Amino acid sequence: MKPKIKYLFLLFSLAVSAFLFSSYYNDVHSKYTFKFPYKQAGLTESQATAHLLSRFTYGATPGEIDLVEKQGLENWFQQQLSAALPDDSLNQMLNGYDAIKLSNTEIATQYPKGGQLIRMAIKDGVINKDSVRTDRKEYKDQIQAYMQQKGLKPERELFRQFVNQKILRAVYSNNQLQEVMTSFWFNHFNVSITKNDCSQFIPAYERDVIRPNALGKFGDLLLATAKSPAMLYYLDNFSSSAANTDMQANNPNGAMNRLVMKNLQNAMPDSAQRNMVIKKLQNAKKAQGLNENYAREVMELHTLGVDGGYSQQDVTQAAKVLTGWTVYPMGTYGNTAQNIMNRFTPDQLASRGFVHDGDFMFNPNRHDKSEKVVLGRHFGPNGGYNEGVQLLSMLAHNQSTAKFITRKLAVRFVSDAPPQSLLDKMTKTFLDQDGDIKQVLITMVSSPEFWSTAAVREKTKSPFELTIGAVRGLRADIKQPYQLYNWITKMGEKMYFYQAPTGFPDKGQYWINTGALLNRMNFGLAIASGRIPGVRVDLAALNNNHEPESAQAALNTYGRLIMPERNLTETIKRLTPMLTDPNLIKKVDEASSKTAVAEEPVLMDNAMAPKMGNKKSGYQLKQQNTLAMQPAVNNSMLAQVVGVIIGSPEYQRR
Amino acid sequence: MLSRRGFIKAGGLTLFGVGLMGGIPAFIAEAAASNKFTPIYKKKKTLVCIFQRGAMDGLMAVTPFTDQNLQAARPGLFMTAAKSGPGSPLIDLDGRFGLHPSMKGFEPMFREKRLGIVHGIGSPNNTRSHFDAQDYMESGTPFNKGTASGWLNRAVGLLGHDAITPFTAVSITSAMPRSLYGDNPSVAISNLDDFAIQMRGNPQGANMAAKSFEDLYDQTTSSLLKNTGKESFDAVKMLQKTDVKNYRPANNVVYPNSPLGNSLKQIAQLIKMDVGLEVAFAESNGWDTHFNQGTENGIFARNVADLSNSMMAFWNDLEAHQDDVTVMTMTEFGRTVHQNGTGGTDHGRASCNFILSNSIMGGNVYGDIKPLSIENLEDGRDLPVSTDFRSVFSEVADKHLRINNNKLLFPDWNGKQMNLMRG
Repeated sequence: MKPKIKYLFLLFSLAVSAFLFSSYYNDVHSKYTFKFPYKQAGLTESQATAHLLSRFTYGATPGEIDLVEKQGLENWFQQQLSAALPDDSLNQMLNGYDAIKLSNTEIATQYPKGGQLIRMAIKDGVINKDSVRTDRKEYKDQIQAYMQQKGLKPERELFRQFVNQKILRAVYSNNQLQEVMTSFWFNHFNVSITKNDCSQFIPAYERDVIRPNALGKFGDLLLATAKSPAMLYYLDNFSSSAANTDMQANNPNGAMNRLVMKNLQNAMPDSAQRNMVIKKLQNAKKAQGLNENYAREVMELHTLGVDGGYSQQDVTQAAKVLTGWTVYPMGTYGNTAQNIMNRFTPDQLASRGFVHDGDFMFNPNRHDKSEKVVLGRHFGPNGGYNEGVQLLSMLAHNQSTAKFITRKLAVRFVSDAPPQSLLDKMTKTFLDQDGDIKQVLITMVSSPEFWSTAAVREKTKSPFELTIGAVRGLRADIKQPYQLYNWITKMGEKMYFYQAPTGFPDKGQYWINTGALLNRMNFGLAIASGRIPGVRVDLAALNNNHEPESAQAALNTYGRLIMPERNLTETIKRLTPMLTDPNLIKKVDEASSKTAVAEEPVLMDNAMAPKMGNKKSGYQLKQQNTLAMQPAVNNSMLAQVVGVIIGSPEYQRR
Repeated sequence: MLSRRGFIKAGGLTLFGVGLMGGIPAFIAEAAASNKFTPIYKKKKTLVCIFQRGAMDGLMAVTPFTDQNLQAARPGLFMTAAKSGPGSPLIDLDGRFGLHPSMKGFEPMFREKRLGIVHGIGSPNNTRSHFDAQDYMESGTPFNKGTASGWLNRAVGLLGHDAITPFTAVSITSAMPRSLYGDNPSVAISNLDDFAIQMRGNPQGANMAAKSFEDLYDQTTSSLLKNTGKESFDAVKMLQKTDVKNYRPANNVVYPNSPLGNSLKQIAQLIKMDVGLEVAFAESNGWDTHFNQGTENGIFARNVADLSNSMMAFWNDLEAHQDDVTVMTMTEFGRTVHQNGTGGTDHGRASCNFILSNSIMGGNVYGDIKPLSIENLEDGRDLPVSTDFRSVFSEVADKHLRINNNKLLFPDWNGKQMNLMRG
């Protein structure tokens, strides 16, 4: 090496190592730039850990508080923010669920909706259209055979797998904060299985849109939701178009239309057939026009908030900005649009202003090319796709958005009525840090308000949190996650079916009403006594198979195992008489030994049983349950104690 | 939300507060002692809403049978009132409209003027999506997706008094319907039997657990949990006074063994138990008849038979309570005038609804149905909406429940009520 080059090389390596060091330093350093002020708030380290875990996990597992305390609270939080812990055992459990890995296109092809399926079967001549829904048995058999032959599956199977994987993730993921945030943002950007048009896109919505952005920048998350088929269908923007577009081939503005017509001519030489398609396309066009639903809700519910300072005029103008934002044609059956699109090269499309990004398509022919003004900002004519991106970015960085989003986060993680001082700090971080969700969370947890007595134990667990928390706290073994979903629904949270775009309200009053509360108590009794099919609890193992020496000891031990770092004096005092009444114990034992466990029939058909590891029949499960419950003394009593603890008021709080 | 505390004051409830779970709770006994037996709430009116999900074909339920256009548009679906033809004819209501023969149970009610029909009812929003149309009808705001509450929930807030019992607003469904979303107390119960602490096959265990829970909830520092806990156990005790499982309807009525029949049966039980029910909700499914809808037999006939038989069983079971109850049906939209290529009908605009009440000015088909020639159809294909659903809902809420704050009940609406009920 020549000296000069040598010198340059040295300089270069110095620069590289300086860069590396600085990034390393930043990384390490960032772990210690925040410090949680829980001591000032009067919490011990253990109490603080319990509080931290109650907010950012789906409930502490046995022993987790000790581990996190050892690791250091800040350290643990930083690790959770990075959401990069390996999840091998979870992934192994999820292996059996093939549907949740499919793309939207694959889902649209493999899981047709009921009506679509019937049309396909009629078209393929498998069933006679006159027999549809008349001869039920024959018709069902025909449809079933047809599906088997075509490799098609019912949509409910997709949802079953989707719900099951959500439950397994919440229970087993090591990246708990990411999962908690995924639920939070899903509810914020709610879409609903009740809306048929969007339902099949919901699994991929959570997987590809919400989860990867759950701890990123708010603006990225907003844009990703805006472009997702689930949202485009749920709030109807997929159909929103400028009022005056049409499919006339002689439309001077429609170079693309001419191209479509030309391609159509090639694709369909039969003119009668072609004219029918053209007429259909024209009718479809006519039925469309500007749809304001998404534009309104993106301001009211996703960004600015209802009092965020926008007018109806802003809604209409924003809707015009977002015309042409739609879904790229997918699905296999009779999809003329897809055939047409496939005839163009990506370059041809791009040069005409089309944007094709995954499932998203911007269609310039449907876009309103006029000038618009939204919230005082001027968008010039012919802004195309980019003006929509600019609009969403503007909304994401608006001060009203910062206030609205940080308040919602504080309500989720601190209390139903978070103090203004905390909100101000979080809002400032949101605005200063480009809507960086991690930074906003750090500001929140670094504030004394997070650790105050007004926050600790002040949130009410949602039915999902209660259920998953109990499963984690009891180290329950789940063979049939869907059984838990049924309980969650019973307690008032039919996940993914909340109809309104508001998402479930996040406040205690919403979750706690008479019917729901009774079901919470019944859930506690059911899970502890092994009466939920496919959900097995080994109470003895929970205490390392140490048998408590007395009933009173059992109450103390299990109370602390299930609700660590809580003051249980009152709970124990109230439950003690139950244990010390010998007649009652005897009666309960007799009664419960007669009926043993899990007398409920296992209702799941084969399609409902998860394809996991060693599949067991319901009968085997029952036997297992019975065996597991045998060894400890007074097992039914122990189950009852644990059930009452899970149904107790203290356990409903976090 | 503290309005429910009124329940505790309802001393009259102690009359049946003796359950299996340790007698009368102290707080109820105290309340009763201070109040003697003066019931805090008087007997209330109950509004029962039935949502027919999937969009009922109003033109087949109540057919304008003299209309040649309809006959031409529906060669395979049109039914006549003429008694000469094969099969059962339509029930001729007024020389122009005919009731589907499977709804024969409704005929006497119509003749006695206790059944009102509104034809051409629907939403001003012309969406033909089930989801959107149901959403708009249930929120009561046909142009606003973001309305957080449902119109029936707002109605509960406008009853003019605290919701006294946990059963003020009840939906017999597995999940809370959109109509009842909101801050005012309401519960969704799929089955009244479930309204108890349960350990199957272990009643002693259940009793013990219930006792423990009652103690624990009575002691908690969270007022929300404490108050709701009390309410829950009181509610359980209220239901225990009757044998919910072995309910025997009055007049040897037999309810259809269908989801709607079972829901209405449970609503009847709640009304008879006098637990303060004022708003009730039930659902009926399967109205989306794209394929082989049938005529006097078939899917549609089965559906309307279930609807009318369930409603009539309910009505006859109510006996002395009939004066206090109004039943109203609703559906998100109607169906195309023309039949489609698969023996059914597709999504349309207006449909019809039924109102069963002693104060309805019944025996009338209300609304404005023009001849179904193409120029009179919406988009050249559908029965147009001539009556905004809100003008009917608001009238029923007003005349039956005395709720007349339309600004809150139906914001953005300034139309007129229908004038089909006596005040």
